[in-house]
Amino acid sequence: MFDNQLLIKVCGLAVVGAPFLLLCTLGVRTLIGRPLSERTITRSVHIAVLTGLVASLLVLAIMLSTGTRHVPIDLGSWVSIPHYHFAVKLIFDRLSVPFVILSFVLCGTISAFASRYLHRERGFNRFHVLYSFFVLGMVTASLAGTIETLFAGWELVGLSSALLVAFHLERAAPVRNGLRVWIVYRISDAALLIAAVVMHHLASEGDFDKLLMNGDWPDGQALLTESQALAVGLLLLIAAAGKSALVPFSGWLPRAMEGPTPSSAVFYGALSVHLGAFLLLRVGPLIDLSLTLQAIIVALGLLTMCYAALVGRVQTDIKTALSYASLTQVGIIVAEIGLGFRYIALIHILGNACLRTLQFVRAPSLLIDYHMLENAIGTRPAQAPVPWGQMIPKKTLMWLYQLGLERGYLDAWLDNGLAGPFVDAIQRCDKLERRWIHFICRRSSRDDPAVEPALMPMESL
Amino acid sequence: MDGGTRSPQLCRLKAAVENAAPLLPIPGPITAFAFLNTLSALEDLPFAEGMARGAQAYGCQPWLAEDRYREYMTRGRIRTDDLVAMLREDLKTDASEPVVPFCTRFDLRLGMLTHPVQHGPIEDLRWFIAEMGGISWLQEESLPGSRASLLEQTRRWMIMSDLEDTAGEGRASSELAKQIRADVVSRFAAEALEYGSKPTPEWDALYARVLWRICFAGVQSINLVPPSTNRPLRLRDLLLETTGEDSDLLVHEMLIRYCAAFTDQGFAGWELPNKKQGFYKSFCRLYQRRGGPPHYWTAALANELTRLTKWRIDPLESIRESLTMLGYVEKEWAEVIQATLMALRGWAGMLWQMEVRPDRVPVPVAPGTLIEFVAVRLVLERIATGHLAKHSLDYTGHLNHLRGSLGAKVEAEPGNTAEQRAFAVFQLAQVLGWAPPALAKLTQREWASLIAEIELFSDVDRRRIMHAAFERRFQVQALDALSEFAERKTSRIPSPSFQAVFCIDAREESFRRHIEEVSPRVETFGAAGFFGVPMYYRGVSDANFTALCPIVVMPQHWVVEDVVYTLDEENRRRKKARWALGTASHQFHLRSRSIAGGAVLTAGLGVLASIPLIARVLFPRRTGRFRRIATRIVQAPSITRLRLRRTGATPGPENGNIGFTIEEMANLAERTLRDIGLTYGLSRLVLIIGHGSSSLNNPHKSVYDCGACTGSPGGPNARALAAMLNDQQVRLILARRGLEVPSDTLFLGGLHNTSEDAVTFFDLEHLSDSHIGDFEEARRVLDEACDRNAHERCRRFDSASLDLSFPAAHRHAEGRSCDLAQARPEFGNATNALCVVGRRQRTRGLYLDRRSFLMSYDPEKDDPQYTTLERILSAVVPVCQGINMQYLLSYMDSTGWGCGTKLPHNVTSLLGIMDGASSDLRAGLPWQGVEIHEPMRLLFVIETTPDGMRQIMSRNKVIGRILLNGWAHLAVLSPTSSEIQVFRDGEFHPYQASDARLSHAATSTQWYRGWRDHLEFAVIERGCAVIDVPQDKTEPCLTINS
Repeated sequence: MFDNQLLIKVCGLAVVGAPFLLLCTLGVRTLIGRPLSERTITRSVHIAVLTGLVASLLVLAIMLSTGTRHVPIDLGSWVSIPHYHFAVKLIFDRLSVPFVILSFVLCGTISAFASRYLHRERGFNRFHVLYSFFVLGMVTASLAGTIETLFAGWELVGLSSALLVAFHLERAAPVRNGLRVWIVYRISDAALLIAAVVMHHLASEGDFDKLLMNGDWPDGQALLTESQALAVGLLLLIAAAGKSALVPFSGWLPRAMEGPTPSSAVFYGALSVHLGAFLLLRVGPLIDLSLTLQAIIVALGLLTMCYAALVGRVQTDIKTALSYASLTQVGIIVAEIGLGFRYIALIHILGNACLRTLQFVRAPSLLIDYHMLENAIGTRPAQAPVPWGQMIPKKTLMWLYQLGLERGYLDAWLDNGLAGPFVDAIQRCDKLERRWIHFICRRSSRDDPAVEPALMPMESL
Repeated sequence: MDGGTRSPQLCRLKAAVENAAPLLPIPGPITAFAFLNTLSALEDLPFAEGMARGAQAYGCQPWLAEDRYREYMTRGRIRTDDLVAMLREDLKTDASEPVVPFCTRFDLRLGMLTHPVQHGPIEDLRWFIAEMGGISWLQEESLPGSRASLLEQTRRWMIMSDLEDTAGEGRASSELAKQIRADVVSRFAAEALEYGSKPTPEWDALYARVLWRICFAGVQSINLVPPSTNRPLRLRDLLLETTGEDSDLLVHEMLIRYCAAFTDQGFAGWELPNKKQGFYKSFCRLYQRRGGPPHYWTAALANELTRLTKWRIDPLESIRESLTMLGYVEKEWAEVIQATLMALRGWAGMLWQMEVRPDRVPVPVAPGTLIEFVAVRLVLERIATGHLAKHSLDYTGHLNHLRGSLGAKVEAEPGNTAEQRAFAVFQLAQVLGWAPPALAKLTQREWASLIAEIELFSDVDRRRIMHAAFERRFQVQALDALSEFAERKTSRIPSPSFQAVFCIDAREESFRRHIEEVSPRVETFGAAGFFGVPMYYRGVSDANFTALCPIVVMPQHWVVEDVVYTLDEENRRRKKARWALGTASHQFHLRSRSIAGGAVLTAGLGVLASIPLIARVLFPRRTGRFRRIATRIVQAPSITRLRLRRTGATPGPENGNIGFTIEEMANLAERTLRDIGLTYGLSRLVLIIGHGSSSLNNPHKSVYDCGACTGSPGGPNARALAAMLNDQQVRLILARRGLEVPSDTLFLGGLHNTSEDAVTFFDLEHLSDSHIGDFEEARRVLDEACDRNAHERCRRFDSASLDLSFPAAHRHAEGRSCDLAQARPEFGNATNALCVVGRRQRTRGLYLDRRSFLMSYDPEKDDPQYTTLERILSAVVPVCQGINMQYLLSYMDSTGWGCGTKLPHNVTSLLGIMDGASSDLRAGLPWQGVEIHEPMRLLFVIETTPDGMRQIMSRNKVIGRILLNGWAHLAVLSPTSSEIQVFRDGEFHPYQASDARLSHAATSTQWYRGWRDHLEFAVIERGCAVIDVPQDKTEPCLTINS
């Protein structure tokens, strides 16, 4: 038994250690300005992912053979003061193991894909550095045993996502869209961070296994009252909604398609779009406490599902269509979680991730596929009829079409309702400040330089 | 909407749109990429001018960056004598005009070409001088030749100035010298100036100091008028410049979505409502309803569109209204419309193509759509600019006054400051060795002329000359090689073992070379890849007809492929199976994106998707083979025939009207044979081999297919021509016309897959016993040549190691064509630079590095009017030049002219590609397809007389405007000698070959092995061995450590 414990601990460390070492290798070489060659990068990514995969499979095997369902690995405490402690802790259980295996399988396949697809690209090294950030983030978030650890992984995923959306720095649109993704992620991060603080405040505990006591995932009992659960749960829901592009944050999803095809595939088709759902799964017992919370989650899931299905149907380009197809399922998954079907939700995540990755990497084949289909069927493949199209009045149909074409106006509403007032408020503060400065200093504006920069005549330099 | 009742103003507007349209990108639907010069609308202008105009309209770079050319210079790819020659040609008689007493215009410009003159914003310059000490040391290559003497002169001038008489001409100069002396003495030890002191490193600094002071003093005295600023034309540009707000961002976001929905060829699950009513009406209907988009800027849109609908304002009327409202006066309209179209040129170009070539897309658009597009665009523009003006400028007046008031705010671009000018002279004086005393003597007027001259030779002009020099280097090499090679006495191969006709494509050059090396008794020919048979073709498992001919031709005939009747039953069964499978997979595609279907598929079967995912990504070649075997059982039976003989009177796509009459077939067959000069000496077996390419996950697949078949494989054309030539009745007619085809000659069609290097044949069931032996020999030769060709191609792929054996290289090439992750299945026609039209024996055995289009033409069989040559060139010149210009432009500015990197590409509307989820349609070639290219205009070398070419260029407008205006280079090779004449400035000039002699190598492999970059021309002994080889001796095949 002791041997097994040790073995699990070693494997568990390898699961996180492999991507961490990878990041260090690629990152340090990049920082000192001597990036590795394409071949070496490819090889190190393969080794790291394979090591992680084998280690996580070993953990799974041991857990199955010994019947353990919950293996925490404590990596020590970061901070420990009387009312607060921040432990770095990994948990291997029935939720995290499948998720981490999925991450390794998809990341490994896509990195093999990317090594050829990005061959000779100027950003080859940059892509792989960001990609290793992402792998580490995914693995950390999946295995996190405390909300702080989860937050760390969550941040890495967000950072690498936004930077990969802006991968093509030479054009303006990717950078603009990358920024937009980043802003939505920050909102979601803020919500998660507040949730963590609130959880500590209420239960003086950030460890999932202590917080959600009495039983391993998916069972367990949260140590909170109903109203506390509702408050924390809502914050977590906002975090999940940002990360998983649920309504009303869905607008960033098509914008994220600016990145290279492989990263779009694994990020927005598969892994990172499910991270929000994963968070909700992780805190499942907490959701159980509040019926209101459950209802809200189910409603949000169903709303997202309907929204994504409507928008996806109208889109004319393959990547957007696929990302909304993925989002439709994410909506359903969230609803399933709200209803308490956690195993179904988990399987649904795994299936959706695999299928969408395949569809995404094959997206450039669309024309060839359609050509083949057309030849096989004999005519241009017919468009599927709009469900209940006959029963809806024409005017409503038109309204729905426009709603879909404009992606549900979600971005516009966020701009008008959230970003606009926010910017206005800040600008008002700015104006106020200027007025004060003018009053105090008697200068026309804060921007006026007090001293002119000294410029010597050039000939005497 | 009747044209007759329209006011002349509206007619002019209509004409303005239609005149601007040809400037839009032409490739059209990406499924059938049209290789045409993007700037073909400007071909009436000389090349350099056309490029400048095109670059301005497209907002792209006309040439490579100056640094790139300098890199070529250091590598020796551009030599100084190339620069000298091109500069002389450019300046003509102005070359020797002195700019200042000690420097001619030619020397000044050459100095600026060979040495980078650093130039930058004034802040950079200040920093460079203050922090880096930019004026206190000399450049490395400065003061050529007479360093010591220059230093000495300067010292003497300084010392003597102290005592010099301060009268007369030298007064100003010596005044200056005194000032400088005072400054220098304060900085350096006075001994540095003393007579007899030894040169020290300090001298350099002193010299630099003196030079800088003189330059600075010189330029300060002049006052040049700053260049007039170009006020931006479009209101959007003005607004962007003054406020930083871009109205196009708002307009495009909406317009791109709408254009994609409007042009959709059936991808979206829900079609745009009222699409049939046209672009304009449909847009009005959709966006005029209340409760539309809640963006602030679109608040006024619904009302405006309602007004347009209510008053029945038609698109042209609306354009006029918008232009007036935006404050444009009528004489600006044409220009504004052009600029407006170019702002979203990919989509506009696609709409235009769908409008004028409705046969190229399944769902075309109505005529007049481009006008409607402009109308919608302008409505959006005025709403967006109105909103931004109000929002960011608090502008509440009329929109038509906005342009005026913004125009006043645009700051005139300041000319170069004195410091910047002084720094330019400072650098040039060093590299050109101008003595400071001489500079000090310059008058104010001379300084002004010097500065003006320097500023006149702008960045774009320098790059233009460098580019010309870059092209010249290759021309010299190519013409040297061809003229030396043409000295050999050659003839056609006597009684060849078989003959093979290929496409002129540059990729077939190496294939033909290898065939000739494997078996020197084979004779090869080149013809445009549709083999003179323009047709709409429908294969046995195709749903629709495809046009197989160059884009400039509209086919008049239809041909279908049928399964032989014996297999009819089998065919029906498989067809049904295919239908079932196709329907199922289509349903899978659709359902996987829906709610319920998606839930069942992803939750139930989704995990299984990891199996094909991993298999296809990690084991592409094996998975590809498995798929091929698995799909074989449902593919159409392979024994088929073409329905070529027409019974009906007129050609058409219906039964009975399919095909050609005997007479028509004879005409086509005769024409092709006469074109390539295969009118005598036919062997027992003649292969006609088209080409296509297979690749996966590649929206640009059609780019790699045959350019002469508008991006489709040319196999059916080859097959059709072979079948026609095998027809006894056709042969009878040909014989009557004096073109005897021996009765034992068999023509056989085939298809060369250029990505996996394999050749498949058609109609092998017609092969009689008598010809089986010939065919097997031919197949052996082709198989061997395929291996070698793949090997030669692999040297260009970084991921293929250089020491591969032939079969391993072939496997590598195959692997690429079935790899999902492969962005470079092949390089297509990249590196093309040359087009030789003439007999193969003039080039056979010359290593052309896959850079040359090869068209066969026998000048001896042509008539005195050069009818055959003109016929050939009327297809070859626009097709090859179109391909060449696409590659050239896509390389020059990959994100501008080309479509950038493939990484973020996204197929939209089943028509084209965007970057990410919302961008303009990207029209050119992807970077991955052009990265090994050298952007040069094509050099046509035609085996004919100057007189012949002159006649053809004046007779044929298409050929004439391309060659006369320099959109491709032209040289003629004498049919009887090795003399070459080059066409330049409207004249043929005899070409003087340099003394460089060609290298020799035994085989191609020996010549190219181990080298990845471009290679020089060389004589491949084995390729041209046939003339000395006794005919009965069979050649052993060369093998390399396979």
